[in-house]
Amino acid sequence: MEKQEPQLSTQNRYIRSRWFDDIPVGEFHVFGSHTFSEKEIIEFGKKYAPEIYHTDPEAAFNTPHRGIVASGFHVAAIWMKLMVSYMERFADGVQDGRRNGAGVGVEDMIWFHPVRPGHTLTYTYEIIDKPDKVVRGRWGIIRSRNEAFNQYHERVFSFEIDILAERNPKLL
Amino acid sequence: MRYWHDCIAGETFNTDQITLSERDILEFAREFDPQPYHLDREAGDKSIFGGLCASGWQVCALMMRLLIDTFKSNDIALMGVQGVPSMRWKIPVFAGDSLSGDIDVATLEASSDRNDSGLMTCDVKVKNQKNEYVIALQASLYIAHGEQA
Repeated sequence: MEKQEPQLSTQNRYIRSRWFDDIPVGEFHVFGSHTFSEKEIIEFGKKYAPEIYHTDPEAAFNTPHRGIVASGFHVAAIWMKLMVSYMERFADGVQDGRRNGAGVGVEDMIWFHPVRPGHTLTYTYEIIDKPDKVVRGRWGIIRSRNEAFNQYHERVFSFEIDILAERNPKLL
Repeated sequence: MRYWHDCIAGETFNTDQITLSERDILEFAREFDPQPYHLDREAGDKSIFGGLCASGWQVCALMMRLLIDTFKSNDIALMGVQGVPSMRWKIPVFAGDSLSGDIDVATLEASSDRNDSGLMTCDVKVKNQKNEYVIALQASLYIAHGEQA
């Protein structure tokens, strides 16, 4: 089956190529969805979070989790995966296609509900602030609120993140 | 086993050390964070990080690994993470860096959403082999109440 590409309007082709100065507060994106398999939950768990409720489906039934659940940072890493793949599709206009990247920090990261094998999460991103700050002479900060919802429409994960975006040198 | 009511605010733990190889960095980046500065030496050199470096989320995941291993060796009944009230990426982590963590138990509070566990909030700092802090965060952890609950 052919992979479905989102429609490329003149505007969204350049999402990742814009200067800090051209990125509006209030912009909202749906990065996409991901279904967590038992296999990947266990693989991530064995490497980074070796607790039986991440790695052993049988033993996990006898914990308060009542079965295996994805590690919190697995849920976060999938946010990154979907963001990169979403942004890469919209990276025209600069030589290396990128004027932003480096994360500075995270606030209020909360895991509200367990993510179990077979659950599908949909991740959203909203720009909520552009703090008035110049970092290392050429970067600005884009603050976003990020959420993930499962197939029951429950919000399972949420956080705010500050990410650097390059300021237009002509405006500095 | 140490349960929530056995834990003490002010207690500190020092984790073991984990060394990250270039292969570890590439493996994580290919799956979760395929950006040039996590995949390619040249792109890393030219980037704001100044070299091929680990995804910030891999550093967070390794922090969790260090914390889980430490709590296990101290027999603390960790039941999951409620949240991370704040976290800062301070400097990049490069291939060959060895990471270890300092964990300070800040507060112990009842949990409003889970009756099998109480909450423990920790200040966690992860440092490299040069004693430079690479990430600093607060983590709110569920610790089981155990049999007496």
